[in-house]
Amino acid sequence: MMKSRRAWGSLASIGLSMTLLLAACSSNTSVSQNNSSTPQPPATATEGGTLVVAAPVEPDTLDSQKSTWLDTTNSQAYDSFLSRDMQGKLVPHLAESWEVSDDGKVWTLKLRQDVKFHSGAPLTAEAAKISIERFAEISPVKDLAGPIEKVEAADPNTVKITFKEPFAPFANMLLGTFITPLDPERLKEKGDQFGEAPSATGPFMNPETKRGASVTYVKNPDYKWGQVYADNPGAPYVDKIVFRFLKDDDTRILEFKKGTIHILQEVPTTYVQELQAVPGVKIETSMEQGMKYLGFNNQKEVFKDVRVKQAIAMAVDREPIVQYALSGFAKPIFGPLPPTIPGHSEKIENMAKEMYGYNVEKAKQLLAEAGYTDSNGDGILEKDGKPFSLELLLMDDPVLQRVAQILQNQLKEIGLDIRIAVTDAATVKDRAIKGNHELFLLYFGLNDPDILYLLMETSNSKRVHYSDPKVDELLTKGRTTLKEEERMKVYEEAMEILVKNPPWVPLYVTESVTATRNIEGYKLNPFTGDILFGDIKITK
Amino acid sequence: MGRLHRYLFRRLLSLLGTLLGVTILIFLLVQLIPGDPVQYLLGEYPTEEAIAAMNAQLGLDQPWIMRYFHYVGKLLQGDLGTSYFTGITVWQEIQDRFPITLQLALYSIIIATVVGIIIGMIAAVKQNTWVDRLVVFISLLGISAPGFWIALFLIWIFAYQLSIFPISGYDGFFSLVLPSITLALGGAGMIARMTRSSMLDVIKQEYMRTAQAKGAPRTSVILMHGLQNAIIPVMTLIGLEFGSLLAGAIVTETVFSLQGLGSLAIEAIGKRDLPTIQGIVFFAAVLFALTNLLVDLLYTLFDPRIKYE
Repeated sequence: MMKSRRAWGSLASIGLSMTLLLAACSSNTSVSQNNSSTPQPPATATEGGTLVVAAPVEPDTLDSQKSTWLDTTNSQAYDSFLSRDMQGKLVPHLAESWEVSDDGKVWTLKLRQDVKFHSGAPLTAEAAKISIERFAEISPVKDLAGPIEKVEAADPNTVKITFKEPFAPFANMLLGTFITPLDPERLKEKGDQFGEAPSATGPFMNPETKRGASVTYVKNPDYKWGQVYADNPGAPYVDKIVFRFLKDDDTRILEFKKGTIHILQEVPTTYVQELQAVPGVKIETSMEQGMKYLGFNNQKEVFKDVRVKQAIAMAVDREPIVQYALSGFAKPIFGPLPPTIPGHSEKIENMAKEMYGYNVEKAKQLLAEAGYTDSNGDGILEKDGKPFSLELLLMDDPVLQRVAQILQNQLKEIGLDIRIAVTDAATVKDRAIKGNHELFLLYFGLNDPDILYLLMETSNSKRVHYSDPKVDELLTKGRTTLKEEERMKVYEEAMEILVKNPPWVPLYVTESVTATRNIEGYKLNPFTGDILFGDIKITK
Repeated sequence: MGRLHRYLFRRLLSLLGTLLGVTILIFLLVQLIPGDPVQYLLGEYPTEEAIAAMNAQLGLDQPWIMRYFHYVGKLLQGDLGTSYFTGITVWQEIQDRFPITLQLALYSIIIATVVGIIIGMIAAVKQNTWVDRLVVFISLLGISAPGFWIALFLIWIFAYQLSIFPISGYDGFFSLVLPSITLALGGAGMIARMTRSSMLDVIKQEYMRTAQAKGAPRTSVILMHGLQNAIIPVMTLIGLEFGSLLAGAIVTETVFSLQGLGSLAIEAIGKRDLPTIQGIVFFAAVLFALTNLLVDLLYTLFDPRIKYE
């Protein structure tokens, strides 16, 4: 999930003339390279030591059931029930096997028997039940897990979850640690404050939080139930792991170059070349489970004519966007789902590419058919005496701002005048939800095709404000169809409509860049977003 | 002393009025910024029902005037509210974060004052020489250079190249040296300019000539007769600078990754954590008002002619 770490704007406490200036920094400071060509002695990997990670966002809480998002910083104390291996195949984790009843309403998870909480107490079905019930009660994202009716501990190692109606996305919900067994003793003791001292079954434990600065975990020495695809399913090699939250990009880069950080997450693409030149630095990329798109407010009169939307889609050339705005660290995308999300279909992707490949002439022709002409010769089209001019709303993210400028130029080619409006993330979302927008740049991310329901189903469509009864019907069916193959067919059908009458112009899938230094064994699972920290050894 | 007491009482009373005004302004301002904390609290894809339930839970479904009275009512009981996101009370968050910002502000104000007054005085004494012009130029540079630029410049030289100080993060006094200098430069420039112009006025006064004529040494004339008379406007400025230090701390803390009040403010604003934003701004307002009251009281120390009525 992308988060903008920068913000421009001001909030003045009037009468005191005190302006709280929101920090913002140039991302283009060029720092000359220390070209010491002394050969590096062959590094030897050792166990132990403290692994330092510079993470982009500080979690509000370490209680996974109170979080709205999970990343490496707030999931280390936990284990998921299921996982996907590096090829994307569903594999067991805490649940050694699982099955779904024929009516799709009852999920049965058989738990591994050798798992212990950080306290030493064994993992039981009862503990899992309490945790799942707590999730269904208090989690801000509980709706993502569907209509859970009841949870039972059928025997000491079997948990049964019953749904009011079948809910297929549940499998992908089990990959993350929103739904994860928590230590019932600690829960009883801490209650609402569980996040201050979480205890569960994960590879790291006893987090120490310095608000605004860092979270430090120590390894779980008794861990032996790591991911099936891990090289080291046992206790992590490192003794400690520190997540530091450095807010300014220039500072993060300098810290990394100084050698105080092993893993630098979310490297701005503009710095990659500079970091590559540092001896011993490895650049790792991973495709996100989501995409950035140019959205239409489909309720606006201008977009009621599908030809207008299609023309805009054809006028977008993704290649320069990827090259110039992202330094090549992205893949162009035409269809509704990226390859990293189940449900992605090559057939749909090719169809979309066919329809909306870069074609200025065809776009102009579509607009002419829709009644847009350049009557005053200023290069901007008009219809009914009004110029063809739209506002493009986006957040103050440096990459998106570059994308917006390129789009502005490209759309000018077809006679569309774009007014760029940059504001902060909260304002973009607010305006989008209220329908107070025309064109906008935004992103989405989730590990299940149900994302299409969340974005496009009429009552849920709060950004593109799309509405199509057939799409609604299909996306609702997709939620309740548990047979994988059948389910994917349903999405294919829905996506076909979403390509023909597009709610948006899909732009690109970001390859998030991580720089590592003085470590070995770094591996990121693109299907879960997990980094196997247990596999990592420090070499220096 | 009776007079001072009455003065203090009046000032504190008017301070209460100011703070009440501040609460209204903060509250309205926070209402006016677009964006909704509930959008962040419920993740990316909340349902209609979940949004309604959360709004009710936080009391955001009430009309703003009701919420304002509720807020002021709580405030009067010393309750700044609880962060929507961390579940920690705003007062606790401020207590956790303020020490770093306070140290940063104090070191900065000391550096700014000492450096500013010294070079300001030198410039005034050496008026129209190259020393004067250099001081004027440098102070202008200090005032106009953006904080983040100075910060990165200092980090690059003293932390990255020379490894004297840490690049970022808080780890005791040493890690506050570069941030304090960064934050002090603007203020030092302002104070130097004010000291210079105030001194120039004073130097022209007849008592200065008298003092010199009596045969008092030049340094003592400048310090005892000159500076003491020139310091009042400078002190006012120092009091006001304290406010911009709090604001400047936001940028400085962000670049240096210090977990102070400024970085807390920025996070809260980004997520629209209303109680935290309101709490920090209110806290800063109180601090600012008290500082300026203190400055006003200090006037008498330097200038016995000033009396509080």
